Amino acid sequence: MQSSNKLSKCNHCNLEFDNDVMIFETISDKELSFCCKGCQGVFHLLSNEGLESFYDKVGSRTLHPIQNNKTELEKFDLEGYAKKYVTQNNGLNEISLIIDGIHCSACVWLNERVLHECDGIIETNINYTNHKAKIVWDPSVIKLSQIIEKIQSIGYNAYAYDAKLQEVRTNKTRREYYSRLLVGIFCTMNIMWIAIAQYAGFFSGISQSIKDILNFAEFVLATPALFYTGWLYFKGAYYGLKNKIINMDFLIVSGTLSTYLYSIYAMMTQTGEVYFESVTMIITFIFAGKYLEVLSKKNAIDSLDSISSSIPTEVTVIRDNVKSIIDTTEIVIGDLIEVKPGDKIAIDGKIEQGAGSFDESSISGESIPVYKNIGDGITSGTICIDSVIMYKATKDLSHSHLQSIATLLEDSLTKKPKIQMLANQITGYFSLMVLSMAILTFVGWYMMGVSFEDALIICISVIVIACPCALGLATPVATLIGVAVGAKKGILFKSSSHLETMAKATTVVLDKTGTITNGSPDVVSYSQNHDFDINLLYSLVKSSTHPISKAVVKYLEEKYSQIHEYSLVDAKNIEARGLSASYNNKKLLGGNIEFLNEMKVNCTLNSSKSVFVFAVEEIVVCTFELEDRLKEGAAETITNIKKLGLDVIMCTGDNEDVAANIAAQVGITKIYNSMLPKDKADIISNLQKNDKIVITVGDGINDALALSKSDISIAMGNNADITVNVSDIIFINNKITTLYDAIKLSRKVFLTIKQNLLFSLLYNFVTISFAVLGYVIPLVAAISMSLSSLAVVGNSIRIKKIFK
Amino acid sequence: MDDNVVSAMLLVSIGLGALGLGAFLWGLRTGQFDDKNKFLDGALYDGEDDMNIAKKVQDRKDKIMKDREENEKKT
Repeated sequence: MQSSNKLSKCNHCNLEFDNDVMIFETISDKELSFCCKGCQGVFHLLSNEGLESFYDKVGSRTLHPIQNNKTELEKFDLEGYAKKYVTQNNGLNEISLIIDGIHCSACVWLNERVLHECDGIIETNINYTNHKAKIVWDPSVIKLSQIIEKIQSIGYNAYAYDAKLQEVRTNKTRREYYSRLLVGIFCTMNIMWIAIAQYAGFFSGISQSIKDILNFAEFVLATPALFYTGWLYFKGAYYGLKNKIINMDFLIVSGTLSTYLYSIYAMMTQTGEVYFESVTMIITFIFAGKYLEVLSKKNAIDSLDSISSSIPTEVTVIRDNVKSIIDTTEIVIGDLIEVKPGDKIAIDGKIEQGAGSFDESSISGESIPVYKNIGDGITSGTICIDSVIMYKATKDLSHSHLQSIATLLEDSLTKKPKIQMLANQITGYFSLMVLSMAILTFVGWYMMGVSFEDALIICISVIVIACPCALGLATPVATLIGVAVGAKKGILFKSSSHLETMAKATTVVLDKTGTITNGSPDVVSYSQNHDFDINLLYSLVKSSTHPISKAVVKYLEEKYSQIHEYSLVDAKNIEARGLSASYNNKKLLGGNIEFLNEMKVNCTLNSSKSVFVFAVEEIVVCTFELEDRLKEGAAETITNIKKLGLDVIMCTGDNEDVAANIAAQVGITKIYNSMLPKDKADIISNLQKNDKIVITVGDGINDALALSKSDISIAMGNNADITVNVSDIIFINNKITTLYDAIKLSRKVFLTIKQNLLFSLLYNFVTISFAVLGYVIPLVAAISMSLSSLAVVGNSIRIKKIFK
Repeated sequence: MDDNVVSAMLLVSIGLGALGLGAFLWGLRTGQFDDKNKFLDGALYDGEDDMNIAKKVQDRKDKIMKDREENEKKT
């Protein structure tokens, strides 16, 4: 390679750069090279502390160059901050942090090591998987700001998150469910091999004493399964009864508990067979389904926790010419607030000083940033992209846009209709029926002069044969497999009951930006007028974080493999319009047409799309056209969904032209454009009034209200946590094609549930009739139970074949 | 087969299984399975140095706790 002698590796981050930009240094006969001051500083720091072994641990992996984006440290010592994130225990402080910039396990090692060296830090525990850290320190020795400074000094950054919110809770439930499930599985596995001996003994004869031993062993195993693993159902049944509802849990409890009690009775009196194995198996099976639900919820929270931490909780305020960082709740109208590039706006206001572009995609869905000047209003939830701005708060937190949407959401969440309730009621009636039938059978046989014992056995066989397998397994096994198959496809169901609602849906409402389209512009066409050095263009666009520049960078990186960044002189970012810089006294300009014309470059081009023009020495050398493109497979997915018989509607905050253009490309005829968040929600309410069952797919805060109103709400994976909180289903892979898969899957699962229910009801009808008449000896009841559950499980496994 | 043999076999086999289950549950409770990457990668850096550091941190913690106790006694 010709250029390789011009490149050298940074001794800290292992990245290769042009020799022009490297910093060289010789320490004790060793030649060192660094790509930036940051890397150099960290390298020296580690050498001085005797931590060079870090580089052995990193090996040939590359790190990110150190960026000196140090946040202001004083906020960490504020009382409000401590109140929010720090917990006190025994006079020691504890905080949960997310450490930014960790690439590999060596980074975790380094952070832990450096923190351990600090006096006053008592415990550091960094999670290798999600980079969350728990730090315990003595506040009389070291301050939190000093700890954060230490982390920043070695090139990482840390910000606190509120672990109390969700994580701790879900972790705890998951762990508890996992132990319960393990106990259940352990008991089932062991009880089954004992049961096989019992079955064999039934046919080939078994001595009573051996049978007693086996019975007792089964009893020992069934007890923890029923009362430890199945505790949830006892609790559910109890709360159901308290509210005068006979629910599914009650059915499971009454079925398993009566079987269990009867089995104890049979064991003690040495009459008939015991059914401990059925009790254990039913409980474990049903519980496995419940566990999977908890697991998918936990996965969703894990992947989204770091996003939710980006929502601002404090802002920089200037009062009496003094800058201070205060909590968003303490902002009053008229406060002067400062925002820096990349900050998310927390409070509505009006710009006093400065101008810049704002990413409003989370509020209006508009993907192209909006340029705002002095006097323009800015809305909370938007992100300031490229400049420092001072603005005056025109509203306090509770009246700001972002917060008011959140409040509306909370209200509507509590009022959300639950179709699940109906299903519970039906099973309630069924269980009531079975129970009363069993009691009637008992009374009937007893009146006819049968002994109390025999009547009780017949009565119990009715409950055993009817209850748990029939309805208990039909739904959970099918949904269990459905949820598992979905997870493999990137569909997370927050609750398995959503599968059912989804299958019945009649209408799909889609958001445009981020759902049908990618949500950020892409280069769609490129034309070159003159020959030029492509690296010049690359270096220029690389200096900006504007979405259009980013798209051009992405395009260039894909197209050219050998591309380098030059260090440009005098790089300027003219907000929302263009970039200028010079290199070797050549003047470089890039931006939209108005900007170039303004800079006296002759440029004429007619395009309905966004345009990026690049000029060297005032001659236009190339142009790009950019557009927010459709997601892969969007048109196909929508055609497929229509084929399933669903209505497809598009709702967007964008203007009519853009909306109509996209809708035509994907084949949607019903469009609502220029919608505000509240309008979207109204459309869904109207649809529901016409007895439609609505699926809404969205990705931003602007969709959150609509999502919470609809029967099934689906959030795209990579977005604001508020959307994910209100939605029932999450597409982690962020693909629109998943929507079709999800609908197909839910319909298949629903069909299987119906088949299962029909089968077990028919089966039960026949067997219950025999049982009521007293023809069913308990062993037949057990075999019939196993057979019906096998049939139900077998039928449900067929769901797996749907995506093959 | 003698009854005692059957019961002994059952007792031993289920007992051993239960022991394993118990150990696993204990590991789960104390958070030993929370971080699967630490499980694998953490072992790579398990050297003498790190042992010393761990000891130092533990000593520091013990000292702080002791100081606190003494302070409490005084007051």
